[in-house]
Amino acid sequence: MNAMDWFCVFICPWRWTGRSAILSARRGVYLIKKSADSRALPRLAWRNLWRHRRRTWLLVLVVAYATLTIVLFWGINNGYSQSVMNGYARFLAAPVLISTQAHFADPDPAHGLASLDFLAQVAAQPGVLGVAPRLQFAGLIRSAYASSPAEARGVDPGLEARVSDIPAAIEQGRMLAGPGEIVLGRALAQELDVRLGERVVLDTSGLAGPQALGLLAVGLVDSGIVLVDRGLVMVHLEDARFLTGLGTATGVALEVRRGQEAQVAQALQPILPPGVRAYDLTVLLGGLYEALRTEAASTFLIGLIFSILAALAVTSTVLVSVLERTREFGMAIAIGLNPRRLAQLVTLETVFATGLGWVVGLALGYGLNFWMATHNVLGPLFTGFGGAFEIMAIGDQIYTAQSPLFALYAALTILLAAIFSILIPARRVLLLNPAEAMRAE
Amino acid sequence: MRPGVLLALVWVALGHAAASDPQAVLRAVVDSQRGGSLRATLTMEVVRPERTTRFVIEIASDGAERAIIWVRAPAREAGQAFLRIGESIQLYSPVLRRVLRLPPGGRGDSFLGSDLSYGDLAGRDLERDFTPRITAQTPTQITLELTPAPLAPTPYGRVVVLASRPDLALLQMTYYDQRGRAVRRLNFSRHLEVQGRQVPLQVEVEDLLRPGQRTNLVFSNYRFGVTIPEACFTIRALEVGC
Repeated sequence: MNAMDWFCVFICPWRWTGRSAILSARRGVYLIKKSADSRALPRLAWRNLWRHRRRTWLLVLVVAYATLTIVLFWGINNGYSQSVMNGYARFLAAPVLISTQAHFADPDPAHGLASLDFLAQVAAQPGVLGVAPRLQFAGLIRSAYASSPAEARGVDPGLEARVSDIPAAIEQGRMLAGPGEIVLGRALAQELDVRLGERVVLDTSGLAGPQALGLLAVGLVDSGIVLVDRGLVMVHLEDARFLTGLGTATGVALEVRRGQEAQVAQALQPILPPGVRAYDLTVLLGGLYEALRTEAASTFLIGLIFSILAALAVTSTVLVSVLERTREFGMAIAIGLNPRRLAQLVTLETVFATGLGWVVGLALGYGLNFWMATHNVLGPLFTGFGGAFEIMAIGDQIYTAQSPLFALYAALTILLAAIFSILIPARRVLLLNPAEAMRAE
Repeated sequence: MRPGVLLALVWVALGHAAASDPQAVLRAVVDSQRGGSLRATLTMEVVRPERTTRFVIEIASDGAERAIIWVRAPAREAGQAFLRIGESIQLYSPVLRRVLRLPPGGRGDSFLGSDLSYGDLAGRDLERDFTPRITAQTPTQITLELTPAPLAPTPYGRVVVLASRPDLALLQMTYYDQRGRAVRRLNFSRHLEVQGRQVPLQVEVEDLLRPGQRTNLVFSNYRFGVTIPEACFTIRALEVGC
């Protein structure tokens, strides 16, 4: 095979045969050199990819794997963060909570709201979908067999379901119907050996001094969140008022659309009485929110490392390819192809291979992500870690999150691969000496 | 009719009326175990299958809402003190050299590892929380069954009280869970008559769910009806006594 034949193998968009192939090759070179719209270069780069199918598929596989990993990585990370946020918003706190500044700093019923007169005005505010007063206090819950400290939440049974998922998480029995009743977590009920219909005693000490009430267990909650199932009880607001001696509430929980918490809380501040503030979920989460943000930043760094490694793997494969094709490149330059265009061709090949891998990776990654977003695959894995996750408001059901942004994060691999390709293999092509290159074995 | 005979007849008639009114019987039984103001030494023996611990405790009480307790032995626990005023309990830790208020969550904790809880120290009013019913009576004994009043702060299904007749000295209290199972029993013995009341000097607390676990309480060096200085019911008295 002579040099022109080699060149044609490399560059001809059609199968080469003898003289016509050489003529066609010359025409191809001409096209590359002169094509104003540069359509020939991408076409040739694409065809070149399939001259070495095994190498191309290797490239595609590497990038697809990196893309799949990045998509899944972000899906799991965001899903986990959303589980924590949702747990706090719908079970442990509220999307927005109105309370006194003193109560926010020291959650004692003594720092409760002086009045609930502002409720109607708050409920009428745009963005507020539900309003429920709460009287939260620390207490001791006792059965005939054991006792356990618990966080008691006095609620209006008719309003609580609008701001919390706990009423919907009652697995056995029902929600409170009136005073004299209590709803407790299934794990707490097991710890106290309490069954539905049995009386438990709730002790506390508040403005009214030490007080206790015998309350009938009417519902058992199974939220999957340890802090709820083991440590939270719901009683009627009237009972909470009797026990604590506070005639109002310690806070008002608001339901707002997800993502609008801060905006709604900000809009409410001017209409609230002095010393009373609306706290959005990010403030209620406190240090945990900062921890989640830090985790998101570290996730981005890990994703970047994935992308860099994948891009380096692609670059090294392309470099090997360039080294193997040194003679071809030398001949191409010798017959008049501009080295800059040849370097562009190499870069384009890299971009096409990584792009193909990206598409394949996205299809697999989003498919897997969708499956994990609809099936509780992660829950058993996370709960397997036990106590480490007990302080988080996550239950035994964790699903991945879906976002088109993940595709963008994964596209970083293509960008990096293109940059590395320009820096290493394409630069090598650019610096080729045709005479030396044609002698290369 | 001679006045003495008339008085005797009235006494018998009142006694009979009390015996037929469960609430009056319960009040009389509860009163009988209260000897008014008191200073005493209490020996508390906590029996567990693997060990027995003996505590020596000094008590001063006004017989009503206030009491102060100092632990004198064993050496490991000595120096601890407890002040009860109504339902509020404060405790002094010699290790921390600080007085702490017992949080609501701590009321169910065991008192010095015994079968009594801090909530037991604060006391629960049987008359307030339960509705009594006489279930049996013989010439020498009377049995009351107490059922919890609505919203009563008790986790028990019922309490059976056994008292002697005619002095209505408390002999035994058995606590049942809401499934009808006996879970806790208090046996009162060695009664001492103080101002017409039968005060038990020995109490045995049995945990019926954990066989072999019990707590024995024995009063000694007791002085009933003494005046307890106000200084005894202060935070300072927890540390330095009175």
